[in-house]
Amino acid sequence: MTEAAIHTEAQTMEVALKIWRFNSETGERELRRYEVEAPEWVTLLDVLDIIKDRVDGTLAYRKSCRMMICGSCGMRMDGAAVLACKTRMYELASAGQVPVISAMGNLPIIKDLVVDMQPFWDKFNAMKPYLQPGYVEPPDGKEHLISQERMNVIHKESLCINCGCCVSECNSMEADPDFLGPQALAKGMRFVGDPRDGAKIERLEAYNSEHGIWDCTRCYFCTERCPKGVDPRDAIAKLGAESIKEGIDRDMGAKHAKWFVKSTETTGWLRETELVPKTQGVVSAIKEMKFAMSLARRGKVPLPVPPHVAEEVGQARALRDIIAGQGRDGALGIVQGERALGRIEHTDSGGARRDAPEVTPGEEPVQRDIGEQPGAPS
Amino acid sequence: MRAAIAAFDAGADVAMLSKLHPTRSHSGAAEGGINAALGNASEDDPESHAFDTVKGSDYLGDQDAIEVLCNEAPGDVYELENWGAVFSRTEDGRIAQRPFGAAGAPRTAYAADITGHVLVQVLYEQVVRREIRTYEEFFAWKLVVEDDRCQGVLAWDLLNGGLHAIGAKTVILATGGAGRLYVGTTNAYACTGDGMALAFRVGVPLKDMEMMQFHPTTLSPTGVLITEGCRGEGAHLLNADGERFLKRYAPNAMELASRDVISRAEQTEIDEGRGVDGNVLLDLRHLGAERILERLHGTRELSMVFAGVDPIHDPIPVRPGSHYHMGGVDTDMWGQTELTGLYAAGEVACISVHGANRLGGNALMETITFGRRAGAHAADWALGHTTVTVPEGVVSDAERELKVLLDRVEGERPWQIRDTLAQTMHENFGVFRREDQMLRQGEIVEALRERYEQVVVEDKGNVFNSDLTQALELGFLLELAACMVDSGLARKESRGAHARPHDYPDRDDENYLRHTLVTWDGDRPALDWRPVTMTKWQPQERTY
Repeated sequence: MTEAAIHTEAQTMEVALKIWRFNSETGERELRRYEVEAPEWVTLLDVLDIIKDRVDGTLAYRKSCRMMICGSCGMRMDGAAVLACKTRMYELASAGQVPVISAMGNLPIIKDLVVDMQPFWDKFNAMKPYLQPGYVEPPDGKEHLISQERMNVIHKESLCINCGCCVSECNSMEADPDFLGPQALAKGMRFVGDPRDGAKIERLEAYNSEHGIWDCTRCYFCTERCPKGVDPRDAIAKLGAESIKEGIDRDMGAKHAKWFVKSTETTGWLRETELVPKTQGVVSAIKEMKFAMSLARRGKVPLPVPPHVAEEVGQARALRDIIAGQGRDGALGIVQGERALGRIEHTDSGGARRDAPEVTPGEEPVQRDIGEQPGAPS
Repeated sequence: MRAAIAAFDAGADVAMLSKLHPTRSHSGAAEGGINAALGNASEDDPESHAFDTVKGSDYLGDQDAIEVLCNEAPGDVYELENWGAVFSRTEDGRIAQRPFGAAGAPRTAYAADITGHVLVQVLYEQVVRREIRTYEEFFAWKLVVEDDRCQGVLAWDLLNGGLHAIGAKTVILATGGAGRLYVGTTNAYACTGDGMALAFRVGVPLKDMEMMQFHPTTLSPTGVLITEGCRGEGAHLLNADGERFLKRYAPNAMELASRDVISRAEQTEIDEGRGVDGNVLLDLRHLGAERILERLHGTRELSMVFAGVDPIHDPIPVRPGSHYHMGGVDTDMWGQTELTGLYAAGEVACISVHGANRLGGNALMETITFGRRAGAHAADWALGHTTVTVPEGVVSDAERELKVLLDRVEGERPWQIRDTLAQTMHENFGVFRREDQMLRQGEIVEALRERYEQVVVEDKGNVFNSDLTQALELGFLLELAACMVDSGLARKESRGAHARPHDYPDRDDENYLRHTLVTWDGDRPALDWRPVTMTKWQPQERTY
């Protein structure tokens, strides 16, 4: 039984959708409009069910749990990836909007809203997505002893339901289909950050190669569209931080990041003229000389001498010392864990809104100092 | 997946076949946790776990199987942790455990409120590690039986179309339940009792099919599960007067009584006019934002998305909804069915460890422990036997049958039959059962089965034809409904989930301390009985 059929007594409304139909057997592609009567509380998935039952039985889409845990029903609404079961339709329908529903991006379409997930799972498998034991043995043949704080490092990553919404929206993958992508890398972080895993260095080495973490363009679309708060860009940042901490910094991306730190802690400013040779190497930088000169002529980069030093450079250095003093280098500097999750609010239409107050009714908002944050890895 | 891993580790050549990708399985929707007497939160031992399970089952559970489960559960949970399961932790770094309904100790190991998700992920990780072959989005439609042995599965390839016979020396069914028989269910769309129907159609008996569990806290209006973990953390159930009404039904255990007891209490409150729009209220507010955010984050998200209620500020509207089938394919303690080579494990099976009422947290544990046992046993049998015979006619016969269905253009599409079935099962075979309603339901199911004979599949294509598979699923559901109603009529007593307050309000150990068994007799279910296995515990009065 479809959910929509349960409550015939509920208030109903008109819902209209345009759906990109695709038939891989004939290659036909067509944007078709559907209008149905539905209870006010329906989700996008419920509406698709009504259409399939009563209007067109050939409509194809995946579904199963309808409670945003199985990850089947990823698709695009007005060009942005959503879980159909999480998307309430009331606001859109009552505003008279007619959203366009299409298959997820970055994956080949099989039929209508069904995509071929094989490339997705191939990348998942490339991460060696299983615990490689041997780092710490359980002391008494039972479970490993690990603090909750330490496990929070991978809390968000372990929420991933493999729905593919992040992959659908990944800009970097659009340019380079071989990019490992947000889902696979978040899965990678789930093991790199797990104190029980014995293959951290091998993993970081692998994730640092071509099509790896440094190919991310940091557009944050993955984080924006993730229906579960996994925050894949955050996971990629943690992998970057762990790589540098472990001395795996051969990639230009890592060198670039390191130079940012070095530059700000020495002079308080970013020294653009030195950034290119420090990131790409001297030979490559020389090849960029012509471009650099033209930038300099237009005042876009300062001359290397005299060095560009901030007035209060001491403040930048003090800031660095504070951070260094917290013992939160590597991924720990980025971890937000369960507390961050609590701040993800959901609107009626299922979209995420952040920064809702973290309060107990009747109490003042809690101010947390840095001391409550996760400590150094055990 | 646990069975596949065990069979692989025993040296067998294994393939998994699933109508979904394996991580989409409905086990992932289990929220609250998995029961094992680890003793991490207080003193505990397997014997207490076993007694709680026996009592919870209203003495219909087989005690030898329950002892196996409770003794082997701790080792299985440690193994999941060693494989990388992301459990929540105690202060001293051990696996955290919380109190659950009808349990004498805080025994439910958990990962916040996404325990099932975490376990499905870790099992899939282990499957990937072993490179176990997987037929994804293959819809199992028939079992291949030859020489009185189950020798494979006939499946429809959902992505490309076409029937395929996959031969195997042993087949393990792990297809879950049939909650889609009801409106207002916690179950996924995929939970259509496929494995039960497959076994039933080749003559394997189904056991205790009348025993459908109604979960006390399913979210209104959609039936989405709100975990028992809420009550484990201390949430209250209130009626329209703001009264904690369970004090009148289960004065000692209150919100942590067993599920059948609480569902009946809720339904009584609602029926007697003390509900709120057909619901009662689950109040978490006194737990505080901190605890809700940390341990019940997913619950809060579900309430906000599907009911527009933030449990930090408002109580959640909940009501009983179909949740778990205690009954299923009759198996022994190694998952073996009557048919050589055919095994079943998890919700599809009935060993029985849950009897007439399952305790929260015992389902995940059953899938793991008995999945492992079934996998190991099936591998052992397969390694000792050499031949697999799939007769040539199997595929072509089935293709002909399918062609009849696909060629039909005149008739009714399945959805009205499906909706009527679910609505009437809810009305006539729900939390409370009456003789006249069950009889009427039997007639309704018969009439629906006749209508189903002329059902039309609109999609005639090969690629991702879910119109076809959904029609086949409805065929499974209709047969199972007939089995349930017949079993329910035969059990003239009230036990666990089978409550008949109007004609047989009491448990009758004299006549009904035994399992119902249904097999197919022509086109009608035929009924038989089997005694319950008792080891240490004699039936007592059951109060909470």
